[in-house]
Amino acid sequence: MLANHIGHYSLVIGLLTSILIFLLSLKSYKSQIIDKRIFSISFLQLFFVLISFLSLVICFVISDFSNETVFNNSHTNKPIFYKISGTWGNHEGSLLLWLLVLTLFLFLFLINSKNELKRYRILTVVFQQVIIIGFFLFVLITSNPFNYLFPIPMEGLGLNPILQDPALAIHPPILYVGYVGSSLIFSATLAAVIENYISKNWAKNIKIWILISWIFLTIGIMVGSIWAYYELGWGGFWFWDPVENVSLMPWICLTALLHCILVLEKRELLKSWTIILSIATFTLSMCGTFLVRSGILNSVHTFANDPSRGIFILCFLFFLIIIALIIFFIFNKDKQKDYKKIYFFSKEVSILVNNWFLMYFLSVVLIGTLYPIFLEVLIDHKISVGPPFYNKLIVPFLIFFLIFMSLGPNLKWIKETNIKNKFQLFIFFFISLIISFIIYKKIGKTNLINTVLIAASFYLFIVTIKDFFSKELYNISKKLSHFGFSMLILSILLNGILSTEAIINLKVGEKFTFKNEQIFFKSLENNQKENYQSVVGYFKVEDDKKNISLFKPELRIYDQPVVITSEADIKTTFFRDRFLVMNTIKGNEYFNVRYQVKPFMIWIWISTLLLAIGGFLSLYNRLYEK
Amino acid sequence: MKLSKIFFLLFIILNFFSICHAEKNDQLTIKISKNLRCLTCQGQSIYDSQSDFAVSMKILINKKIEQGLSEKEIYELLKDKYGEWIVYDTNFNRNTFILWGLPVLLFFLGGAIILRKLVFRKV
Repeated sequence: MLANHIGHYSLVIGLLTSILIFLLSLKSYKSQIIDKRIFSISFLQLFFVLISFLSLVICFVISDFSNETVFNNSHTNKPIFYKISGTWGNHEGSLLLWLLVLTLFLFLFLINSKNELKRYRILTVVFQQVIIIGFFLFVLITSNPFNYLFPIPMEGLGLNPILQDPALAIHPPILYVGYVGSSLIFSATLAAVIENYISKNWAKNIKIWILISWIFLTIGIMVGSIWAYYELGWGGFWFWDPVENVSLMPWICLTALLHCILVLEKRELLKSWTIILSIATFTLSMCGTFLVRSGILNSVHTFANDPSRGIFILCFLFFLIIIALIIFFIFNKDKQKDYKKIYFFSKEVSILVNNWFLMYFLSVVLIGTLYPIFLEVLIDHKISVGPPFYNKLIVPFLIFFLIFMSLGPNLKWIKETNIKNKFQLFIFFFISLIISFIIYKKIGKTNLINTVLIAASFYLFIVTIKDFFSKELYNISKKLSHFGFSMLILSILLNGILSTEAIINLKVGEKFTFKNEQIFFKSLENNQKENYQSVVGYFKVEDDKKNISLFKPELRIYDQPVVITSEADIKTTFFRDRFLVMNTIKGNEYFNVRYQVKPFMIWIWISTLLLAIGGFLSLYNRLYEK
Repeated sequence: MKLSKIFFLLFIILNFFSICHAEKNDQLTIKISKNLRCLTCQGQSIYDSQSDFAVSMKILINKKIEQGLSEKEIYELLKDKYGEWIVYDTNFNRNTFILWGLPVLLFFLGGAIILRKLVFRKV
């Protein structure tokens, strides 16, 4: 009750501070002196949003059902951990979290940009406040987390059980930090355009924010995939589902920006392109929020949505894009009269090629996600764009991308580079072709494109390993990330072609043979847990060499709301995952059992982590340098 | 035509008892069901889903394979019945040429822009 009111009023006060900061910064922009009060009020704003967020958490913890959000998404017998994570497991709460991260980032920017241009700092605050005000209004008008219910219900409706999972508890906050980070890049870019401050120094400073967003987006996407892998119960980790795509698009764009900013930093080239990428990244993040929240998408992940909210975000998004475009066309003075020579075989060109391919992948994902929506609206014809589409359009280009990626990082800035060790590189390519040929021979399939693709990824893998152990140590972060990426592609591919599975209906006491393994359904066990009833199946899997392992897949029948979920049992080893999941068959004593052997599964996660660690090292270097 | 069908059926029946073939059928069923959308769930394929619809579809697919229909014929059959929405792999046709064409077009456009900029500078 009390927490509810406190939360609501601090949100309103937060909006007022926002407007105050906006006006104050406009004033200081004119007078060219930063008003000291901006700092204190920014802190106050952060404080009030934090209070508001915490009071929502408290409402969830004490199960205060006079709050509509709590009523809709919680239940008294839910474990405390999921009561807390339930705070951002719904639309209203997640927007409050957006707002919290927005204000936090702005505050961090303010206190960390002391040695930058004053007017640029103030303008960044102005733009960021516009975004913050927009989100305040969005929260207060269309999705207030503190709506009051009377009479107070005795019990809540409960949280979707599929969301009651540790990975999904931390997935949204991490992803949001990534999304929201792009808003600061957006504001800072617009400010820098107006002040004509797009320069080496600016690139150096903004790179920190790009890295932060990028790291969090990478990890956020990874956690989401891990969740999909073990929770959705089909052993896949990426389905090219619209909601997954929506998180991938800003990531691709940010990756392009991360490379492009290097060129700006080293050579002051590609200014306009950097600006466009910054705007695009934020637009894609906002689009993501719009698409997920509006309910336009048909997806596994759309848990809460409402069309009227979509319209608000759409209008707000258009408003921001129009402002951005106006500023870009009026103020951008990237005429580049100074003549700079560019050589074909130089690092800047290789980064340009990288951006070129990344933009292509982005356009594939973007068009694949949006096209069905437009087609349905325009001619009322429903089509599905699924994995085959993405595979067909991405795979052929990925081959060239991987080869360029193995060569590019060894080129030098500015100078025309003669590739040394041409012979060595050629040998490497030959080796990778042979390896991939052998793999295909072994599994008895032949597919030209896939053979070449695997060869290309092995090539990148070998070259990045070679780079890793070679001479200069100074750019360890880049090497690590590139190595991680090569390993990621390689393990995804190998996992894809080497995975085997069996689907069979079994009842207790039956067994079946799969390849060289015997799967025996021993028994069933019923348990009553805190907020669900669990049915555990015991499976004994025995291979030729008498290695026995016991699988305990579980079915959970949740009380509130009544939903059946199946928890897979996964045995992870260094080289392969074994995945066993069971499902009920209606009106039958049989269970549908799915047994999968998935090689190199864990390497997908490890390599994504390496990718992120590379980014983190780079960030650490940046901060340490300063 | 009919004769060939009978031959084909005979061929299938002859092969029916070999485990190898059954396994092949299973693999094909998995492959096909991965490429079909479950119409009663949100954004899951028939392979992933355990809904009644998905289960009956899997049985149907299996039957059709046993009847000797090819992968493509099964897709066509289902498309006629449930609309294009059900298959994840959209064909290249009047409605989708933009979907398939635009990304590739953008790729070449981007390449052209980069090339022009570079060559233009060199002169």
